Amino acid sequence: MIKVNALTKDFPLSRQQRKELNTEDKIARAVDNISFECHPGKVFSLLGPNGAGKTTTLRMLSTIFTPTSGTIEIAGIDAVKYPQEARKKIGFLTGSTGLYARLTPVELIDYFASLYGVPKNELESRKKYLFDLLNMHDFLGKRIGKLSTGMKQKVSICRTMIHDPEVVVFDEPTSGLDVITAENIIKLIRDCKDQNKTVIFSSHIMSEVDLLCDDLAIIHKGKIKHEGTMLDFRTTMQESNLTAEFIRIVQS
Amino acid sequence: MIFNIFKKELIDTLRDRRTLMMMLVIPILIFPITLNVFVSISASFQEEAAVKTLKVGIVGDKNSYFAQQLNEIPSEMGAKKLVFFKDSASLMTELKKDSIQLGIITEKQFNQTLEAQLPARVTWYFDATEIGINERAEQYMKIIEVKAQQKRYDELEVDFRKVTPFQTSYQNIASDKKMVGQIAGGFLPYIFIAFGFIGCMYPAIDLFTGEKERGTIETLLTTPVARWQILFGKMMVVVLSGLMAASAALLGLFISIEFLDIVDNQEIMKIVHEVLSPLFIVSMFSLLFPLTIFFAGVMIPIAVYAKTFKEAQSIITPLNIVMVLPAMVGFFPGIELNLMTACIPVVNVVLATKELISGTLEFGYLALSFGVMVILALASVFVSYKQFGKETNVVS
Repeated sequence: MIKVNALTKDFPLSRQQRKELNTEDKIARAVDNISFECHPGKVFSLLGPNGAGKTTTLRMLSTIFTPTSGTIEIAGIDAVKYPQEARKKIGFLTGSTGLYARLTPVELIDYFASLYGVPKNELESRKKYLFDLLNMHDFLGKRIGKLSTGMKQKVSICRTMIHDPEVVVFDEPTSGLDVITAENIIKLIRDCKDQNKTVIFSSHIMSEVDLLCDDLAIIHKGKIKHEGTMLDFRTTMQESNLTAEFIRIVQS
Repeated sequence: MIFNIFKKELIDTLRDRRTLMMMLVIPILIFPITLNVFVSISASFQEEAAVKTLKVGIVGDKNSYFAQQLNEIPSEMGAKKLVFFKDSASLMTELKKDSIQLGIITEKQFNQTLEAQLPARVTWYFDATEIGINERAEQYMKIIEVKAQQKRYDELEVDFRKVTPFQTSYQNIASDKKMVGQIAGGFLPYIFIAFGFIGCMYPAIDLFTGEKERGTIETLLTTPVARWQILFGKMMVVVLSGLMAASAALLGLFISIEFLDIVDNQEIMKIVHEVLSPLFIVSMFSLLFPLTIFFAGVMIPIAVYAKTFKEAQSIITPLNIVMVLPAMVGFFPGIELNLMTACIPVVNVVLATKELISGTLEFGYLALSFGVMVILALASVFVSYKQFGKETNVVS
């Protein structure tokens, strides 16, 4: 479960940035007083154009950024007050995630498992389960730098799920991937849903959202412009297709 | 948790060829290679100089004063051949062409002035860029002058002892160890500091800026590990890399001294072995350890702030000069560790190490130097901690 209430994030602007943005403001508000809830066993999509505040929101949920104001609850833990505790419950995957190229997949997974404090007896069975599921056995001993994009994506997924998180955060997870590789992510999101995990993912691709999500929020310029179920969105839309409706809401 | 991060970062660092080159390969090989080249070149020069026949130009003929005097100098002092010229202009032309290496021009009335027991003017011409020529001219002139002086004493019937009021000798009471410490003692900490800095540089950039650039930092920050633990784990690798690079350079230097016959003098070799005792190495490392932390603490905030490897490198590289330049103080004689110098970072480490080699180190100043470096190291760690805590710095 994720509960977000009146979440706001300001970034200080340097003199150079003020000049570039042609503004006198000393801060830039990336996220402006947003609230939403994501439920276990459901996929929540944060939809918005580039620069809407999706990544900042997800970074606050993952406790990489501290909110300027507002509250975040992750699996019953106040993530603002107890970020380290909240992180134990989160699996985080972004499309731009890099991996340590000089490590092998096994070394990388062991490393992250140690950081998440996965007990050794659980680790072996967890690794076996994920390696089997993702069909990773052929390249476990190779350096990550020498793997293909698809193989790397599997390593990323394995890294995200090694501690069996209750909440999974995906920040534009399919960006830059071909359809075959992106399919691994789509499958992962569905698996998470089946396992009753709380899933939130950001995207700017309406078709992807349509394919996966149960609930959605459309965010633009840091504010939520629409929130509800995907079913409601489909039934109440004023335009002929989902993308056109998304554009209409953003521009309204 | 810190150890897990340290272990992973160390594996990652040791698998990076660029870092490995800067941290181990270059420091180990630089001294054996450069000193070997230096020794070979200098030996070949010496060999060449020993067999080379020096051509000395004289205005006049074989009966002229300097021709006779030079002919009497034994050839054991170096082979020479006299070349005679009619005038000084042709002598100078040949000297400039390097067909002769030394030219002697005397005043017109040279023999008369000499006979009149007055100082006769003589000028030796040579090209100072040619090694050893100046020294050879001075040696020849000294022999000729002593002989001429003795002749005058005899002619004047003066007892040489009566015009020599003192029998002076200058005795150096400094031990050989102290002498080695003063002359070469600055070299050791300089190497350590220079290579320590370079050794820290690449891992610092790779583990902080590199992680940002490769997009791996974000994932790391979502793990339930406190940022200070991540910082410390990484910082330990940076410090270790600096110490490893410096140690590798010292090892390379030791190999060079031990196996390349650079030091002929057995007494000096004995002192070198005495200096490189386990106690000395432990003492030196304890002084240099906070310095390396300080280096890491200075580099990490820059590496955290920089957005690209290039940007970090362009800021840290000039810093090298600022940090390593004070280390050259060890090359200057007469600068000692005192209340003031003990408070100047880098300088204090160099001078303390130098005095440690000489065996003249005072414990109070050592403690002060160590204290200053520890305070600076802690301050730099704190700055790193603050910078690493800034979310806009860490995530691009």
